[in-house]
Amino acid sequence: MTALRAWLTDPSPSSRRQARLGQLWLAWLRIRRNSLAMAGLAIVSILVLVAAFAPLIAPHDPLVQDLSRRLLPPGTPGNWLGTDDFGRDILSRIIHGARITLYIIGLVALTAPVLGLLIGTVAGYFGGWVDAVLMRLTDIFLAFPRLILALALVAVLGPGIENAVLAIALTAWPPYARVARAETLTVRNSDYIAAVRLQGAGSARIIAGHIVPMCLSSVIIRVTLDMAGVILIAAGLGFLGLGVQPPLPEWGLMISSGRKFLFEQWWVATMPGLAIFIVSLGFNLLGDGLRDVLDPRSAPK
Amino acid sequence: MSPLLEVQNLRVTFDTETGPVEAVRGVSFSLGRERLGIVGESGSGKTMTGRAVLRLIRPPGRVEADRMVFDGQDLIAASEREMRALRGQRIGMVMQDPKYSLNPVMNVGAQLTEGLRLRDGFGRADARAKAIAALEAVQIRDPERVMEAYPHELSGGMGQRVMIAMMLIPEPDLLIADEPTSALDVTVQAEVLSILDALVRDRGMGLIFISHDLRLVARFCDRVLVMYKGRVVEEVEAKNLLAARHPYTQGLLNCLPRIGGSRAPLPGLDRTGAWTQEGTP
Amino acid sequence: MSLIEIDNLSVTFRAKGREVRAVEAVSLTVAARESYGLVGESGSGKSTILRAICGLAPISGGSIRIGGVPVATPRGRAFAARVQMVFQDPYASLHPRHTIDRTLSEPLAIHGLSGSDARVVKALEDVGLPAAFRFRFPHQLSGGQRQRVAIARALMLEPEILLLDEPTSALDASVQAEVLNLLDRLRDERGLTFLMVSHDLAVIDHMTDRVLVMQNGRAVEELTRAALAGARMTTDYARSLFDASADRMLDPAKEAP
Repeated sequence: MTALRAWLTDPSPSSRRQARLGQLWLAWLRIRRNSLAMAGLAIVSILVLVAAFAPLIAPHDPLVQDLSRRLLPPGTPGNWLGTDDFGRDILSRIIHGARITLYIIGLVALTAPVLGLLIGTVAGYFGGWVDAVLMRLTDIFLAFPRLILALALVAVLGPGIENAVLAIALTAWPPYARVARAETLTVRNSDYIAAVRLQGAGSARIIAGHIVPMCLSSVIIRVTLDMAGVILIAAGLGFLGLGVQPPLPEWGLMISSGRKFLFEQWWVATMPGLAIFIVSLGFNLLGDGLRDVLDPRSAPK
Repeated sequence: MSPLLEVQNLRVTFDTETGPVEAVRGVSFSLGRERLGIVGESGSGKTMTGRAVLRLIRPPGRVEADRMVFDGQDLIAASEREMRALRGQRIGMVMQDPKYSLNPVMNVGAQLTEGLRLRDGFGRADARAKAIAALEAVQIRDPERVMEAYPHELSGGMGQRVMIAMMLIPEPDLLIADEPTSALDVTVQAEVLSILDALVRDRGMGLIFISHDLRLVARFCDRVLVMYKGRVVEEVEAKNLLAARHPYTQGLLNCLPRIGGSRAPLPGLDRTGAWTQEGTP
Repeated sequence: MSLIEIDNLSVTFRAKGREVRAVEAVSLTVAARESYGLVGESGSGKSTILRAICGLAPISGGSIRIGGVPVATPRGRAFAARVQMVFQDPYASLHPRHTIDRTLSEPLAIHGLSGSDARVVKALEDVGLPAAFRFRFPHQLSGGQRQRVAIARALMLEPEILLLDEPTSALDASVQAEVLNLLDRLRDERGLTFLMVSHDLAVIDHMTDRVLVMQNGRAVEELTRAALAGARMTTDYARSLFDASADRMLDPAKEAP
């Protein structure tokens, strides 16, 4: 262990692999010092673990109905967070719902920022009419309220989890494109880009290898901060019946079905709401922490 | 005559994560109504020394000194309020780059007259007349036009002159100029220097001139402090600078290329001499 | 035959409907293994000439030939292998998120050259940097060390011509001396041709054989080293530049004001 640590913190690594691992280790040390970011990371890791081991953790089957035990309040033995109007255990549904939430977040996080980065950096790097066309396209997407656009897309594509993800991704990329373009504009005339152009590098290489790394940290931070919004939009689509379809235990859908009893049986809507709140908070904290860690210049000298 | 500014054992310390870092370690000097040059390479603490006199070091930086007296007033004991009354009024400061020191969204006239009108209660016309006089004093040919200009419309030399004019309006007793000409072209630099020079002579101001350029300081100042790593390694009369004895000062002079000089490799600066260890804790 | 031939070069920038003539009808030739200096104040167009050679500034008139062949647009890899540039500000010319290793191996990757491990180590050694610096980031290096890395990067492709844009103006005097000595040594070892820009006549004089004095985008006067040292300039501007040079300030013959 100490030998490994010495190898990682070696100030003069002997190979590229060692240098890269050493960098990761230093980043980890930096994030570990930030207690809020660690709290965020803990929440996100718990979400991942819960999703991975949902069948083992959940006390009940999330889909099995038991009408004799409907709308039990929290604290009931066997149903610690209560049951919903079909007598399904809310805790188990939230635990299984973590899988769906993570699936949606994962797919959106993989697609929207990549698309946004690509469009933003290309627009910023080439400028001129390429920039004009791509940015007007971005403006068109930005001009629609996100939820309405997602609704329209789902209405065309048909309800379902994949289509909901697609709709969210297609509405989520414009802010990333804006961020990436702004970042690209500050970078593209810098000497280090001129230097690599002088070495004969092509546009694709410059964008992918030299410009994207400069935009990446602000985009990643933006992604983690947006994750809360993605969860809420997915929940909103679920709430409107256009996302995940019943009886799947999606959190937004659960809130939607709890709406009918909000005043008498508050827990049906509140428990999944709390889950959304905690996970959103986790991503936000993590995003704030990453902001500090992802900038190598902030490293202690 | 007692000196205008007296500094004894000035220390500037920054508390960082890895422990305190001393930027200035025990600098002492005194200044009459004369031109004092402070020379050093980057990281020598020359800028910090200038800022410390005005107590313009932000936390985590700390300023300590056994004695720091300006015209009978103790700068260490002075309250922040008293310091504010001194800054600009009695001690002016000119920074390296006028771009960062002028407000980009106010025209020059407004910036020059703001202080006069708010602080000294001048009327609009009087303040304007005084500002134009100040611009004329720094040899700006058409002050009326410059008064209406915004900082981005001025060239570097013009901006630096405006900065100097602005600092001179309250008629300070001491001017601290931190690399005032480094961002300027050599011919403009000569003009700005002669303006500063005339002002010191005519108004009897004290001047602390901070620069990395030993030759410039030697030509322009009366006395020169040479700093290295937060310490004064040598204090010489400017006219004797070529005869400076300290190896660091000599090294700084010798490592500069000379027109018509030899093509042989330039002598580097020996940073291993015993003097680099001198007095270090 | 001259290695670099610039004939009647003009560069015009268009910004917001306004035309700025940065360089107007400048001609110069540099022989192989010769060092040529461009000197002038800011706005004189001296750096723009270097950028025009590299294709980083738009040529609006005249021609540039390297080895007798007009430069292609875009410049391409063959050009990159012959001509490289060192920029003024070592804090801005290295990618802040790439390690030194990545910065130095990038040109090799672009040109598909092998053995990048050994070449990077060798390149660091050539510019006098310890191999331990290889995996550091630029922010962990001092200005002088960064400029050494920038020089190493420019030499990775083993070019014949090095364009130097104020390579030492952001550095302390003692570091400037070290970098100038390094450039001097590399020029001898590799038979390089320098085209160097500076505002400092003394630096230009130390490094180059001939100097072109520029003002407001135009060539004012070409001086040989001997003419400069002997103060035999014919134009007023070149003389005023010479007189204002910091180097002259300690001249005992000259009376301080």
